Amino acid sequence: MRIYISIIGLLFFSSFYAQENRTTFGLFPEASLSYKLLKNYSITHKFESQHGFYDTENLNEELEYEHTLTDLQTFIGRRITPFIKVDIGYQYRIEEGENTHRTIQQVSILQRESNFRIGHRVRIDQTFFKNASLLFRARYRIKGQIPLQGESLDNGENYLTVSNELIYMIQSGEDDLENRLTTALGFYIDDKNKFEIGLDYRTDDYLVENRFRHRIWLKFGYYKTL
Amino acid sequence: MTYYLRLLFIIFSVTYGVAQEKNEIEKRVKKDEIPKQAKEWLKDAFEQKRRTKWYYQTDGVKEVYEAKLKQNKHLHSVEFDLKGNVENIEIKIKENEIREEAYQGIFDYFKSNYTRYSLKKIQIQYTGEADDLEDLIDEDEIENLVINYEIEYYGKTDKNNTLWEGLFDANGKLIEKRSVKLKLTDNLDY
Repeated sequence: MRIYISIIGLLFFSSFYAQENRTTFGLFPEASLSYKLLKNYSITHKFESQHGFYDTENLNEELEYEHTLTDLQTFIGRRITPFIKVDIGYQYRIEEGENTHRTIQQVSILQRESNFRIGHRVRIDQTFFKNASLLFRARYRIKGQIPLQGESLDNGENYLTVSNELIYMIQSGEDDLENRLTTALGFYIDDKNKFEIGLDYRTDDYLVENRFRHRIWLKFGYYKTL
Repeated sequence: MTYYLRLLFIIFSVTYGVAQEKNEIEKRVKKDEIPKQAKEWLKDAFEQKRRTKWYYQTDGVKEVYEAKLKQNKHLHSVEFDLKGNVENIEIKIKENEIREEAYQGIFDYFKSNYTRYSLKKIQIQYTGEADDLEDLIDEDEIENLVINYEIEYYGKTDKNNTLWEGLFDANGKLIEKRSVKLKLTDNLDY
């Protein structure tokens, strides 16, 4: 519990520290629904949506609601071993200006330790625009899940997750980096129903001069498996 | 927006209520809740004071207390009944620490049944009377103890791709095995 509080503290601290740069804050609900297709195959649908409430670039720096974007994703996954899974996916993004299509390929690797587990995810994706060239991204995420009562996670118990993802992107020869640090409190209702609530702190435009950006999302997600 | 939140909260609380049926439970317990007898056995056997974590475990039928501690760099899990009588000791070991009598049998089994396999976790399990289990810890004697190996392994055949937990006897003969169901990884993958 103490770790959790310090991480949240750290997130807030870094956001204040970075006031000169652009900072936004908002809500980020997400939900995923997975089900088995054949023996080793499964389908996952995911919905995620960003709703901005605060942006330092607004004139008066006051609260102002804005629907930032909504993503609808579908993945087909195949489990290669109990620890390795590969997925291909498609995303439709609803956003002001232009709705986009994205194709996704990923490999996830599960690492188990005696009292926690780590998920490694390597993903590449391609986003298609009407009047702009293809955006290519390569990303790696590491996410740890630690039970808060005892060594194994039982129904009705809580857990803590901490994750970090590094994203490299390139479009028309210009590249950039993005980092996403998240921490969340998880409610393990049972294996097929999990709820996580936490903070997602994103920084990007590392390689673009004078445009460093911070985005802080209050994230809540439901993971459902049939 | 508040509508959104409220809806989510309702869905969440409904599922939370429905899903309360429990079977397997494992939780940390404080030292004060452990029967004196268990703590005394542990003190006599391990002699030096060690950092011990206590757990309560049940599979829905059997209830036990478990002490987890380290000795000689090996993780020991000592199981007691609720009155504090010691029942068995499991020690996490490496592949090359499997006793000679068992080694051949265990690996013959893997080689002849799987095209590919890898051992994920090996525990040697000693069951017996309290005095004999104490001798195991403080004098390294295995007299009168039943020895088994609990091995979690991944085995690949042409048809199957499963994680197993196999129980082998002291001579490396498979007694039983069951498939291990790993927890879903949806929240780590997407």
